[in-house]
Amino acid sequence: MAMNRIVRHALILAACAGFSAPGLAQDAEKKEVKETICFESRKGASEVTKREIRPGLPNVKCSPTTDAVLWYGDPYEDTVPMGKVPLLDKIPEGHAVVKPRTEKLSLASTCTLACHNGVTPPGFPKHKKPIPIPTMEAMVPDVKDLQHGRGRIWCLDCHHPTRRDKLVDNFGDPVSLDQPQLLCGKCHGDKLRDWRDGIHGKRIGEFASTGKKRWFVCTECHNPHDVQNGAHQRGFTQLKPEPPPQLPAGMKDARHEKVHPIAH
Amino acid sequence: MSIDKRPLGEPALPASADPAQAVPKATRRDFLKAGGMLSLSSLMGTAALMAQTDDAKATIEWAEHFQKNYRLMSDEEKNEARIRLERRHSAEYGRKVTVDISGAQPGVLMGYALNVRKCIGCRRCVKACVEENNQSRGSRPGERIEWIQVLRMERGEFSEERMNHGYPEGLGIQVGGNAYTPVGQVLEGQFHYTPEAVPEKDATYMPIACMQCEKPPCVKVCPVRTTYREADGPVVIDYNWCIGCRMCMGACPYWARRMNVTKPVLPKDEMNPVTHYLGNRPRMRGVVEKCHWCLQRTRQGRYPACVEVCPVGARKFGNLLDPDSEVSLILARKNVFRLKAELNTFPKFFYFYD
Repeated sequence: MAMNRIVRHALILAACAGFSAPGLAQDAEKKEVKETICFESRKGASEVTKREIRPGLPNVKCSPTTDAVLWYGDPYEDTVPMGKVPLLDKIPEGHAVVKPRTEKLSLASTCTLACHNGVTPPGFPKHKKPIPIPTMEAMVPDVKDLQHGRGRIWCLDCHHPTRRDKLVDNFGDPVSLDQPQLLCGKCHGDKLRDWRDGIHGKRIGEFASTGKKRWFVCTECHNPHDVQNGAHQRGFTQLKPEPPPQLPAGMKDARHEKVHPIAH
Repeated sequence: MSIDKRPLGEPALPASADPAQAVPKATRRDFLKAGGMLSLSSLMGTAALMAQTDDAKATIEWAEHFQKNYRLMSDEEKNEARIRLERRHSAEYGRKVTVDISGAQPGVLMGYALNVRKCIGCRRCVKACVEENNQSRGSRPGERIEWIQVLRMERGEFSEERMNHGYPEGLGIQVGGNAYTPVGQVLEGQFHYTPEAVPEKDATYMPIACMQCEKPPCVKVCPVRTTYREADGPVVIDYNWCIGCRMCMGACPYWARRMNVTKPVLPKDEMNPVTHYLGNRPRMRGVVEKCHWCLQRTRQGRYPACVEVCPVGARKFGNLLDPDSEVSLILARKNVFRLKAELNTFPKFFYFYD
């Protein structure tokens, strides 16, 4: 579908541009070889590059209108074992896998090399009170107005003070970015319990309770820096919906659905 | 036998539009029409004649017309039907198509749960279902079939702005409302909503599809008994025996069934070659289809396609007989309701909220 549209675009462009068409046609070719990258849960979190596992079997199928993943050919692609989660012991070894988040969070490597390289800088505060950090605010403007915890938490409640590629648990020990549930569960214990039991969140793969599943971790669906934006967003960034169903034969639009609107 | 020129029902037709490849076809409908007047002996003679023909396609089609209702087939006959279908579909779609005939596993009763509070109405489940289940996807009327419908429902009188607009007026929210201002949420939702982004303010979403009832009204009314409940839960259809009478569509209180009014449009490259006999194998014109919980996946232990694609994790699927499964834990722990429970259809599809 997407391919068709590109070709159609190219044709229209070529028709409009007349003799300048060769250049544009080249552009269209470039577009076609461009790989399709689709997002899984929300935009900005985990992404998949479309490819063929076997001839005729793609790893994912993507929506032509929203670039969202619509179908998984291989649910365990690029996954690693999840690691230990307390009280999650009924699942056989290797049957819980996650997609690593570390590479996706691309800033992490820069941060760890430049400043937060495991060494406590001189003048590092001894107390746990929030303090303005001008260099950080310049680089990441969102930290000034953190939409999480309503002012009750700040950076170092979740991020490790010296190792920026790690999160932090209750005892100050580092937690991998691949296992944010160990951090989030500190406060959201009810959600952690539901997630552990498969009620909250998402798993793909085998449906049996002991089957092999890819688990989606907290940050693949929620952006922890932005959870409060919009009261009606249910902790989840708004998305463009897929197109509506086909109208019945002979019907021009769906205005009949709004004959008795409820005024807001 | 009458050949071609039939307005309805081409169960055994290959997808080819090339008239050169057309072979004499006959449907069960034609067979019954013409055959009803013939004596049994001449029928047998015709069948024997056709079976001896060199035309492989014709033989396959004749065998299909004579095959039994799937439930009455022996394992051998099922296997023959599988081989016939695999051969026909592989030729039709130019790739290796597998048709699974695996039956229900003991100790499995499939169940489904959906968190209505989480659903954001993005319709990704609808499209995932189409990708998986080989529905018709043309552009002309009746050619686009989707099994899941997502209802957008407004919050009615309970929205903040309407707090004081009850009946009688000026006294805050009143019980009952009236015919013109419904109170709260009603099931008269909108299917064709197209906002820029979902979820919207003051809207809730309710996806509905086949509820896989334990007492399915559609099964009660089917005159040819082609739709029935499988031992592990899902209500399925043997498409070869469907006569397209649409009794089941009228009986279903959940608007779950779809009719192939036109010849299904299924492009070769979009076809899902992993199919199940009772599930997503390509359908013909004039048969009814519906959600079967992705039998081709769930019989192999995999989640249905809609569960895997839901971006908010609102959809849950599991074995109701396993106390540790997601659905069992939801039933034990959450606030659960069934849609139109008063109809005593006993769906195995549960809605819940946190």
